[in-house]
Amino acid sequence: MLQYGKRIWILLVILLLVGCSQSSSEEGAKSGKELTVLFNFPTSTIDPHLDSNYTAVRAGVGETLVKISEELELEPWLAEKWESKDGQNWMFQIREGVTFHNGKKVDARAVKESLERASKDNPAVKAALKIRKMEADGQRLTIQTEEVFPQFPSELVHPNTAIIDVAEKDFDKKPVGTGPFKVASFEPGVALNVERFEKYWDGKAKLDKATFAFNEDANARQMALRSGDADIVFRPPVENLEQLKAEKAKIESVPGLRTHQLIFNMDSPYMKEENVRKAVDALMDRKEIVEHILNGHAVVAKGPFLADFPFAPSYEEKKSGIEAAEQYFTQAGFQIQNGKLAKDGKPVRFKVLTYSSRPELPLIAQILQAKAKELGIEMEIQQVENIDEYLAANDDWDFATYSSLTAPRGDAAYFLNAAFMPDGALNYANINHPKLTAIIHQLNKTVEANERNKLAKEALKIIDKEMLRSFIVHPNIIVAYRDGVKNWVTSKSEYYILTKELDVEK
Amino acid sequence: MIPITKRLVEFILFLFLLSFISFILIKLAPGDPVKRMLQVDEVSVTKEQIEALREELKFHEPVYIQYWHWLKRFFQFDLGNSYITKQPVLSELLSRFPATLMLTCASLIVMILISVPLGILSALYKNTWVDHLSRLFALVGSSIPSFWLGLLLIEWFSIKLGILPSMGKGTVKHIILPSLTLGIAMSAVYVRLLRSSLLESWNEDYVKAARARGIKERRIFLSHVFRRALIPVVTIFGMSLGSLISGTVVVEVLFSYPGIGKMVVDAMIRRDYPVIQGYVLFITILIIIINIFVDICCRCLNPEIRLKGVEKR
Repeated sequence: MLQYGKRIWILLVILLLVGCSQSSSEEGAKSGKELTVLFNFPTSTIDPHLDSNYTAVRAGVGETLVKISEELELEPWLAEKWESKDGQNWMFQIREGVTFHNGKKVDARAVKESLERASKDNPAVKAALKIRKMEADGQRLTIQTEEVFPQFPSELVHPNTAIIDVAEKDFDKKPVGTGPFKVASFEPGVALNVERFEKYWDGKAKLDKATFAFNEDANARQMALRSGDADIVFRPPVENLEQLKAEKAKIESVPGLRTHQLIFNMDSPYMKEENVRKAVDALMDRKEIVEHILNGHAVVAKGPFLADFPFAPSYEEKKSGIEAAEQYFTQAGFQIQNGKLAKDGKPVRFKVLTYSSRPELPLIAQILQAKAKELGIEMEIQQVENIDEYLAANDDWDFATYSSLTAPRGDAAYFLNAAFMPDGALNYANINHPKLTAIIHQLNKTVEANERNKLAKEALKIIDKEMLRSFIVHPNIIVAYRDGVKNWVTSKSEYYILTKELDVEK
Repeated sequence: MIPITKRLVEFILFLFLLSFISFILIKLAPGDPVKRMLQVDEVSVTKEQIEALREELKFHEPVYIQYWHWLKRFFQFDLGNSYITKQPVLSELLSRFPATLMLTCASLIVMILISVPLGILSALYKNTWVDHLSRLFALVGSSIPSFWLGLLLIEWFSIKLGILPSMGKGTVKHIILPSLTLGIAMSAVYVRLLRSSLLESWNEDYVKAARARGIKERRIFLSHVFRRALIPVVTIFGMSLGSLISGTVVVEVLFSYPGIGKMVVDAMIRRDYPVIQGYVLFITILIIIINIFVDICCRCLNPEIRLKGVEKR
C-alpha cells in the first residue's frame, strides 16, 4: 500500500515538473517585441459584429470605415472620404490598397457584405445604421438610409461595424479583418493573442506580437502589472496608484466619454417643478465628489458632453450650496418647519434610486443625502439591481443616479435622441418638451456640421436652463503601464488600444 | 433491470419538473435581454424598436407557450442559441466545461493532499498540539474569503517569488494558484470531518474484534477504520463536487480562469435565457451522475449497504 502511495507521489511530482518545464520552454521561446494589455471587460466571442466589448477593434484586428480622433473629431479610416448632399444618400470612397489578413482586396463589395452581415446579425447595428440599400461599384459604395440621417458617418465609428471578410467562417474565434494585427489564437474570457500583419496598408506595426488579456478584478489587474504578467493595465484600483508609482509604473488618467448624472422623474409631483430640480442640483457638491469619491480622477461636468466637443456650449455658472438650494425650494413654495422641509404642511421625502455596478454612484447618492439632511430633507436611497429595467417599469421614484456614454461616436444626436425625445429608449424621466423635441427633430434633418453644432448647443442650453437632467462628473479612464512601454495613448473613446505605433523596449 | 428503469423514469420526470420551474423563475425575474441586445446605452433606439424586438423574440407570449417552444427544441437536442453571442448553448457549455472540470479536479487533489494526512494525524494524536494545529487550520481555512486568499497567494507566488503566473490558463502552472485557493478552503472542512469519522470508527466493535484476532494495526487501519471513515466523507464530497463545479466564480474571475460558473453569472446579468436554462439542465444531469457515482463508491467502501440490497430481494 505504501508503495502505491509513493508511486502516486512520484507521479504527481513528475506531472508538476513536466507542466512547469513545458511552460518555461514556452516562455523561453518568446522573441521579438511583444507586450500584454490587460483590459477589464472579458469577452467570450471576438466576432467583430457581435462582441459588445469591441475586442477586435480594440486589439487592432478590425477597422471601421470612420474613426474618432483623440480630438474627438471624425476621421477617415477604411473610407478615404464620404459625401452626401441630402443626408440620406451617401457615397463612401473605400481606400485603395487595403487587404484583409488573408490577402483578399478590400473593395466596396466586401464592405457592403460586411455591413450587411453586421446589420443582419446584430439588432443594435441595424438600429444604429438604418440602412435601406447599398450598391457597390469598384471602390465606391453608395448607401441610402431609411430616413434623412446626417449623423450616419459617426454611426460608422461603432466598432460593431468593423469590416471583415465574411467569406471566412470562424468569426467567433478567428475573424479576418484589416488591422495592423491578425488573430493568432483566442481563449474565450482569457486572452486574445495577435501577431503583426506584415501587409498592413498603413505601415507595419512596431510590435511583433501582443496579448489582449482580460481580468474583471481590479486588484488582480494591478497585481498582474506588478508581477510582470501584464505591461499595460486598465483601471487599476485608485487606492493602489501611489504604490504602483513607487514601483516605477506610469499612470495616465484622462477624462472619458462617460458622464455620471441625475435623472429627474418628471411624473414625480416634486420633480416636475423646475426650482426643485435646481435645488437638488445645487445640493450636489461636485468638487467633493471628484476629490473624495473619485480621488481626483474625474472632471466636474457642466453638461452631458466633455467641453472639448465642438457641440458643447459654454454654460453659465450656477448657484450651488445649501443656501442656494434653500432659495430654490422657497421659490417652489416649500417651507422649513421645525427644521424639516415641507410642502403644503407635509414633510418632504425624496426617493432616490442608485445601483452598484458603478460603485461611485451609491456614494454620490449618500453625499447628496447628507447635504439634504442639513436642509431638513429626508432622502430614502434604494439600491436596485438593474437600473434600466427599474426606471422603465416603475414610477415611484423622484430622481436616480445614472451613468452613460454621452457621445461615444463623436456626435451629440445619440444622447439627445435617446434621453430627451419622448420615444427615446433612455428617456426614463418621461420628458416631453415640445420646444426641445422640435430642435432635436431639426438636428436630425440638418446635414451641415456647423448648423448641427448650433442646434445641439441650443438643445443643451434648454436642458441646462430648465435642469431637465443634472450632470455631475466625467470619470477618468485610468491606465497604468510599466516603464519601457512606448507610444502609449489612452484613447478617450477606448476603441483603439493596440495600435501600430505602440512599442516596447526589448 | 426494474430498479434501473424506475430510476430512469424518475430522472426524466425530475428533469422536466426542474426545467419547467427554472423556466418560470427565469421569466418571472424582472428584465429581459432586449435592451442589451440593442445596446441602448450606446445606440439611439426608440421604445417602439425595443417593443418590436420583444415581439420578434416572442417575449409577449404566455410563459407556458414559450416553455412549450423551448421543450420542442429540446426534444430535437437543441438548447437554442445565446441571445448575446448567437452561439449554440450546448457548444458554449461544452467549451467552458473542460476548464471547470480541470479546476475542480486540481482543487480536489489539493484538498485530498491536505485533508487526508492532516485528518489522520489529528485523529491519531487526538488532543495534542497536532490536533490543535489542525483545528486552527480548519478555523482559519473556512473563515478566510477565497478572493482574499487568492490575492495573498498571488502576492507570494507571483510577485514576491515570481514562480507562478498570476492569471490566465494554458499550462499546469496556471492552475496551481486557483486550485490552491479552492482546495485550501475545502480541506478545512474535510480535515475535521475525517478526524471525527476516524475516531468514531476506531471505537467500533469490529475493530476491537480485529485487534483481538491479532491483526496488525496498519491493516486494521487501512482495511477497516479508514475505509469505514471515508463513507461520510465521500457523501459530503459528492455535494461539494456539485457546488465546486457550479460555484467557483470568485476564483474564476480573480485568476482569469473562466469556466461554467462565470458564464452563467454573466448570462443571469444579461438575462440570456437559453444559456441559463441550458446551464440548469447541464448541471442537474452532472449532479445526478455524481450522486450515482457517490452511491457506487459508498457501496464499495461498505459491503453492508450492498448486502442490505441483496437481503431485500
